[in-house]
Amino acid sequence: MSRHVSWCATKGYAMTPNTPSAPSRRTFLSSTAAAALAVGGGLPLLAACGSSDTGSKEGTTAGKSAQKLLPAFVARNVVTPDIAAKNGSAAGFTQAIAADQLKASVESKLGKGSKIKIMSPFWGTPPANDNTYYKAMNAAIGVETTWQNQDGNTYDQKLGAVLASSAIPDVVVVPGWNLGGKIPTAINAKFEDLGPYLSGDKVKAYPNLAAIPSDAWQRSIFGGKLRGLPMPASYVTNIAPFYRKDIFEAKGWTLPKSADEFLALAKEITSAKAKVWACDDMSWTAYNMFGVLNGSDKALGWNLESGKLINRIETDGYLEALEWTRKLFSSGVVHPDAKAQNQGDAGNRFTAGQVLIYNNDLSGWYGKSAEQAAANPKFKMAAMDIFGHDGGDPKLWATNPAGIWAFIKKGSSKAVIADILAIANFCSAPYGTKERMLTDYGVEGSDYTVKNNLPVKTDTGNAEVNGAWGYMSSSAAYVAHPDMPDITKAMVEWQQRMGAFTTKSSFYGMTITEPSRWTNLMNDFEQLEKDIVRGRKKVSDMQQAVSEWKSKGGDQLRDWYKKLLDANGTTAS
Amino acid sequence: MSHTVPGTPRTQDSAPPEAVDGPAEPAHATGTGSRPAKAAASSKVPFRRRLRQDRTLILMTVPALLLVLVFNYVPIFGNIIAFQDYDPYVSTNGVTAILHSPWVGIQQFRTVFADPQFWHAVENTFLLFFLQLVLFFPIPIALALLINSVVRPRVRAMAQAILYLPHFFSWVLVVTVFQQIFGGAGIIAQTLREHGHEGFDIMTDPAIFKFLVTAEGIWKDAGWSIIVFLAALAAVNTDLYEAAAMDGANRWRRMWHVTMPALRPVIALLLVLRVGDALTVGFEQLLLQRDAVGPGAAEVLDTFVWWTGIRNQDFSYAAAAGLIKGVVGIVLVLTANKIAHLMGEQGVYKK
Amino acid sequence: MTAVMWKPAKEPGRWAAPPRPVWEEAPSRAGITAKSFGLGLACLAVLVPLWIVVVTSLASKKTITRAGGLVVVPRDITFIAYKELLSGGQVTRAALISVGVTVVGTVFSMAVSILCAYGLSRPGSLGHRLILMLLMATMFFGAGLIPTYLLVQTLGLTDSYLALILPSAVSIFNILVLRGFFMGISPELTDSARIDGAGDFRILWQIVMPLSRAVIAVITLFYAVGYWSAWFNASIYLSDQQMMPLQNVLIQLVQKQEIPVGLTQAVRAGPLSGLAVQMAVMVLALLPVAVLSPFVQKHFKKGMLTGAVKG
Repeated sequence: MSRHVSWCATKGYAMTPNTPSAPSRRTFLSSTAAAALAVGGGLPLLAACGSSDTGSKEGTTAGKSAQKLLPAFVARNVVTPDIAAKNGSAAGFTQAIAADQLKASVESKLGKGSKIKIMSPFWGTPPANDNTYYKAMNAAIGVETTWQNQDGNTYDQKLGAVLASSAIPDVVVVPGWNLGGKIPTAINAKFEDLGPYLSGDKVKAYPNLAAIPSDAWQRSIFGGKLRGLPMPASYVTNIAPFYRKDIFEAKGWTLPKSADEFLALAKEITSAKAKVWACDDMSWTAYNMFGVLNGSDKALGWNLESGKLINRIETDGYLEALEWTRKLFSSGVVHPDAKAQNQGDAGNRFTAGQVLIYNNDLSGWYGKSAEQAAANPKFKMAAMDIFGHDGGDPKLWATNPAGIWAFIKKGSSKAVIADILAIANFCSAPYGTKERMLTDYGVEGSDYTVKNNLPVKTDTGNAEVNGAWGYMSSSAAYVAHPDMPDITKAMVEWQQRMGAFTTKSSFYGMTITEPSRWTNLMNDFEQLEKDIVRGRKKVSDMQQAVSEWKSKGGDQLRDWYKKLLDANGTTAS
Repeated sequence: MSHTVPGTPRTQDSAPPEAVDGPAEPAHATGTGSRPAKAAASSKVPFRRRLRQDRTLILMTVPALLLVLVFNYVPIFGNIIAFQDYDPYVSTNGVTAILHSPWVGIQQFRTVFADPQFWHAVENTFLLFFLQLVLFFPIPIALALLINSVVRPRVRAMAQAILYLPHFFSWVLVVTVFQQIFGGAGIIAQTLREHGHEGFDIMTDPAIFKFLVTAEGIWKDAGWSIIVFLAALAAVNTDLYEAAAMDGANRWRRMWHVTMPALRPVIALLLVLRVGDALTVGFEQLLLQRDAVGPGAAEVLDTFVWWTGIRNQDFSYAAAAGLIKGVVGIVLVLTANKIAHLMGEQGVYKK
Repeated sequence: MTAVMWKPAKEPGRWAAPPRPVWEEAPSRAGITAKSFGLGLACLAVLVPLWIVVVTSLASKKTITRAGGLVVVPRDITFIAYKELLSGGQVTRAALISVGVTVVGTVFSMAVSILCAYGLSRPGSLGHRLILMLLMATMFFGAGLIPTYLLVQTLGLTDSYLALILPSAVSIFNILVLRGFFMGISPELTDSARIDGAGDFRILWQIVMPLSRAVIAVITLFYAVGYWSAWFNASIYLSDQQMMPLQNVLIQLVQKQEIPVGLTQAVRAGPLSGLAVQMAVMVLALLPVAVLSPFVQKHFKKGMLTGAVKG
């Protein structure tokens, strides 16, 4: 019935499981964005459903053939970071730089005035197109952009429909977790090859793009061509287990060091009568504790172990992590709304003190702290170090070095492509430049004011300067919160400590196109995981699902990946 | 379509079979004589004359017809992708992509029928349908009888106005309100805990989910559904009650012998409609709560089609499942209607 | 009929019971108790949640924090949530858009539907069976999301309010209800007008429509409620978030617990509670229908009688 069409839809908010792990970098900079992110319902993790690449070209492009496509890397250090990147962490900047000290990273205005339509996801309520900030960005770059900022939570529906129409905007931003189903085919079919503009030394016309790390570019090769403008990210896991430091200190609780200690503490903390539960859904942290291969991308879930490729779902750690999380739920230490999943947002439960531990993107550390600073000065949160389930060191797996891309419509004129690259170049300016300042904070006076030498966003700024431009590509991962230097430091150091335990799996950094007959093979696992930890299904159901997966194509897929590995080698170190 | 107003004589079997508009016609024609024998013998009037006579009427339907043709019929042809392995991105746009996608015959349908999750969704759909039929359906009738028995006009109007309200809540609001009241951290559970009892959580229990869904449906729409029954009740000729009362029938007997027969055609009609729509058990409502109890309890045909089509982008597969649902729906309507006819009721349309 | 017969000659005040017909026995005490109990229970089931929503929307941040969520017992009343929401900005704009789409859409839908229903209302007229079948078939078959989207996009309706109106402008069910009512109008009236030389448009305008006020009121409400509560079309056909109607904003605020643009500071640091804002938006979304429907209510009976009941 025609009603169906109109009923549909709900899914978006009900289900889009997972919000961004990726906008991380950008959202570091904006408390509202971080809040919006969290609000999106989500936590990153199982963006898993997607992230493979199909299309005419199956497989991947790595090794030598990739080298030919990759842009040359020319490092750029405008301001030396206060905390240098180490172990795969972002670089940290703890000091604000006065306006007159800011350098220029784009010498002359590169834009030639093209009219450019950009579709991108947006968490929160997007500003009108003619706002001060967008106008200032347009003027500084020399383009006329029209933004179609779409609701990030229902973006996959919109994306599918728009890509199937003949009216594709000039630029389409695609997050990695929206790469499900046939979207990878669409990317290969509908978007321009940027190789002729960026490969090798050509990138040097855009110095800020040349400073983007090579592994982020490597991830941007789709269907054998360099198609994406990446937003680089740290490869250290972005899922941090946050706890309410203020309450922990007041009650004298110490941080757990093993899975058992966690459970014991959780039982002590929980007091349903007082409306306090120990934690939200801790699945993602559980996978990290039990050393499960990364689930945010299909290819990352494979690893070569003693000559054989193993998938994350086949490991003991995977089952143990499910079992342990199941125990959390069954002992009643998880907030009931987290069990229901369709109610509200974990971050809000956390700040309200109904939940004292939850896991989310690392950017939430700053985001929540900044958000609570005014209303709740006692509020203190921190990320606990991820521990091995048995009390030893954790075994963590690297996540992808880029998780969100801007693509240019196939058949765009050279002039338009050049202007889009000009936008990307501008938005990838490093910290300490005028371009970065404008991109991150907007226009002084209307979007932010300077207090005690620190830029502080106004309400207008919070509404307008909220991530969108950052998806057009960005500079190498960094954390810069001069208003909260301690948290900046803590975030980077957490990444560095976790980075020391991080290993890259066999297909790290590669964008892989699985043959289409197998792309839906793992669709049901995310749901099964949720059912198991919530006690609706048994762990043995998972074992059965895994053996079915093997017989329905999992084993063939293993052979296929093995061939790929033999042909391309690995980029992992 | 039936046009008998409850209380007026039923359609005679002698009405011309092709007249969708059955019973009223002879009456109109004989009553006025201005358009002699037109209805009864329309086929004998020359086509041109009928066209001239009725062209304004036809013209009036054009706007609606156009809208329906454009927005309902044109896209229906999109369902041919059920016989393809459709890839919307293979060509410059999704329409021409149909021409470039490979034909696979009934392969998609085979896959659907072999998919245990499809059958699971079918099972849930029917389970919910029967529950709603048994638990939901009688409530508006009971409420209508209750309200109808209230004689004070103000009380009646107030009660109606209140009971209609939830119909205007969107599902998002209904689910939110239920969660806040009955959820594990909801008002009731918290109040219990404060008084030293165990809390409970009925919003995430797959075992009672089917009752929860039915209860939400009742809360939202039972009040609204009484309108039709009230209308039918209002149409009952009071003389019948009086006559029955004179014959010594008490309140209950009058309800049984006068009120219920008046409601029968309406009940039959709504039952047929409901059965015909059996496979639609509340898409938005279920999708919203799918996460809370898992697909094991909440997956029905509509959500299955949605999930495979939009989430997994398996458009051909979803189209095939949707077509199956449509065909079964039509069979159900025809069957239910047939049964209604056999029982001497009007049903949705005339034989 | 019943209502008419029961109506007393002089109204003794509208709360009072009208005199009972002589043949009806006096109700038993138990019967009255059971009836009041049943009806009261049903009404409470509706009113309690509604009460909670309204009270919470009127509560201060302090009260909400103390209640740990929804408020049942009001401790204080503040209109700050409403004041903030209606002082311009996102929600105000969305509400105006919703009103506009609802008014324009309803007028358009009614015009098309009334014409169509009348066009199909004369038994035996040429082609009406075919047209009726064409219309009714759509009640059982639907197209998928992608084909529909492509069509709307091909017609150039995306990013236009027309996309919120045209695809859903016609409800076959509503047309059938109207048609049923029109068919119940005594043919003597229309036929004599016809003899006087009136055309069908004039008959519709001067005779049929004035006689059909009840059903027209009811169907207008149906369409208006439909437009007012629709959100799906907007979510897929509109790209500009500034164009979103109230329901879409509501979903965003309630389901995702977001805070309206511009109120961030008031909620974070000020006296405004995010929950109160959400509840206030709910109330705002519910208000127009809640206010309007009682006025149309008296027509329900008559309007639906000859319509829906007849199918």
